[in-house]
Amino acid sequence: MRIAFGGNQAGFWWYMAAGAVLLLAFAGIGLFRGAVPIDEGDVLAVLARHLLPGERAADPSVDTIVWSLRAPRVVVAAMVGGCLALAGAQMQGLFRNPLASPGIVGTSTGAAAGAVFALTFGLAGTFLLAAPLFAVAGALLSLLIVTRIATRDGYTPVTTLLLAGVALNALLAAFNSWLIARSWEQYEAARRIAYWMMGGVTDRGWVHVGMVLPGMVIGCAIAVWFARDLDLLLEGEEVAASLGVDIEKTKRAVLWSAAILTGSAVAVSGVVGFVGLVVPHLVRLLLGPVHRRLLPAAFLTGAWFVVGADLLARTLVAPEEVFLGVVTAFVGAPFFLFLLVRHESEVAASR
Amino acid sequence: MMETRGSARRAPRLELVDGGVERRGRWLLRDVDLTIEPAMLTSVVGPNGAGKSTLLRLLSGTWRLTEGKALLGGFDLSALPRRQAARRVAYVPQTVRPTFEFTVREFVTLGRYPHESRLFGTRSADRGWIDRCLDDTDVLALAERRVTTLSGGELQRVLMARCLATEAEVLLLDEPTSNLDLAHGLDLLGLARNLVDEGRSVVLVLHDLNAAARFADRVAVLDGGALIAEGPPAEVLNPDLLRRVFRVEAVPLEGSAAPVFDFEPLGARVL
Repeated sequence: MRIAFGGNQAGFWWYMAAGAVLLLAFAGIGLFRGAVPIDEGDVLAVLARHLLPGERAADPSVDTIVWSLRAPRVVVAAMVGGCLALAGAQMQGLFRNPLASPGIVGTSTGAAAGAVFALTFGLAGTFLLAAPLFAVAGALLSLLIVTRIATRDGYTPVTTLLLAGVALNALLAAFNSWLIARSWEQYEAARRIAYWMMGGVTDRGWVHVGMVLPGMVIGCAIAVWFARDLDLLLEGEEVAASLGVDIEKTKRAVLWSAAILTGSAVAVSGVVGFVGLVVPHLVRLLLGPVHRRLLPAAFLTGAWFVVGADLLARTLVAPEEVFLGVVTAFVGAPFFLFLLVRHESEVAASR
Repeated sequence: MMETRGSARRAPRLELVDGGVERRGRWLLRDVDLTIEPAMLTSVVGPNGAGKSTLLRLLSGTWRLTEGKALLGGFDLSALPRRQAARRVAYVPQTVRPTFEFTVREFVTLGRYPHESRLFGTRSADRGWIDRCLDDTDVLALAERRVTTLSGGELQRVLMARCLATEAEVLLLDEPTSNLDLAHGLDLLGLARNLVDEGRSVVLVLHDLNAAARFADRVAVLDGGALIAEGPPAEVLNPDLLRRVFRVEAVPLEGSAAPVFDFEPLGARVL
């Protein structure tokens, strides 16, 4: 199954090339297909108008659909998928536990709580990054709580991690419901928040791209800088420390990175579950646990996975739409159960 | 057969001065004065819970001392940046089964961490050194295997390769022979001996007292968190001390240069 080995980078590059092709293909479908049929030539004309130098004329309604509706939706989907998958890969390394992910341990719900807080108290409109900042704060807080509860002497057992996640998810979901109920008199606002909570990238514009971008850049930079330290952390804190890793610094950096990535993604897309669980897990099976390969591959895979899932969300019951979070849950939840069963049988076998 | 072709660099002296560590209100080790002289093979022995693993953690600098000091070549080990310390002192904890599917080569390359640059990672000089470490410990043929599929003995040798990959001059190994069959165990002790002859210092936690007597230059005996005795095996290991510390009757075997014993439980009844 594995395609990249110790001295062999070729498998990695083939995987990245295939991922890039898939991403471009899905993005292309997202741009060329939609509820309103538009001639391929016209789509290309719009893209050329915006991406190539020089003045070009275009039909304004076609221009709006392609450039202001379809294009940012695809871009936001790719960014959200990349951020969530990267955060998941980091958390699995940090907790030394392949079942950790933003959704499972309550980081996404924490981020959502932060964003809902900003939305219901009208803070989100004050400046562009208000919602992402509150979401990052919520994500960080929930991650710290889970770390505190589930980790003893640098070791995080699966059971305590999952139980802490279940409890935190329930608590934060109740908090979110309460916040939404508070604003029920403004029906429209409450409906928007409730819809957003279910996860999706419908009607996202370039402003949303701007909301994810700073967090994505910062999160990725931290992730890359500490990628090698995470390799060593997989072997346990004692081994990592004996080989020269600054354990506390690494853990803090990775926590921040995962929180920033999750918060930025959740702030624009709501809770899109299971991406951070399934994607890094599959990539690790194919490429191995070395983070220098795992992290970029997980980012790219998350990107094409969510762009593809969003295509399904728009087309499964067209002209209606399914929530993106529903599509990813349909793929991810059975996979999570499969992992859990396999983990249990491994534990049983090692007894 | 394991052997080495490493460069002969003389190890620095490693000292514990009045060292003690307290965890959760309990002193795991206290008042320990121990010097690991350069190019010596020291064996740490003692009953379960005596503080052997704790001693290695303190000597490696991975645990902070509550009392006293650890000195590497005369300098305070805790003041040294972790990466620099890792280049000079390598510590291999008791074997834990790896859960992540590194290949053997990737796993051993983790040992290069203190030499790697953050931007460029592993360089070709590093890769050449990794090959040598794999070869020295007789695991080159396993290079592309996953560490999760190795046998206990193979894993132990891979861990040894990772330890060598650090190029450290002082090696601290916690029960390195516990998963090995007789031949591989003797091989590993022979490898440790070679490393010492090249100028490195090696500290081993061993349960086999006779192996300790035969291979070590010095023996350190721990009991109840205290250093009971330290010195050449012939001086330290005697029936009186063994009865006191290990609660066994030690009967010296004749005809051996090292102090080798036959062991019987204390107060064994004769039927």
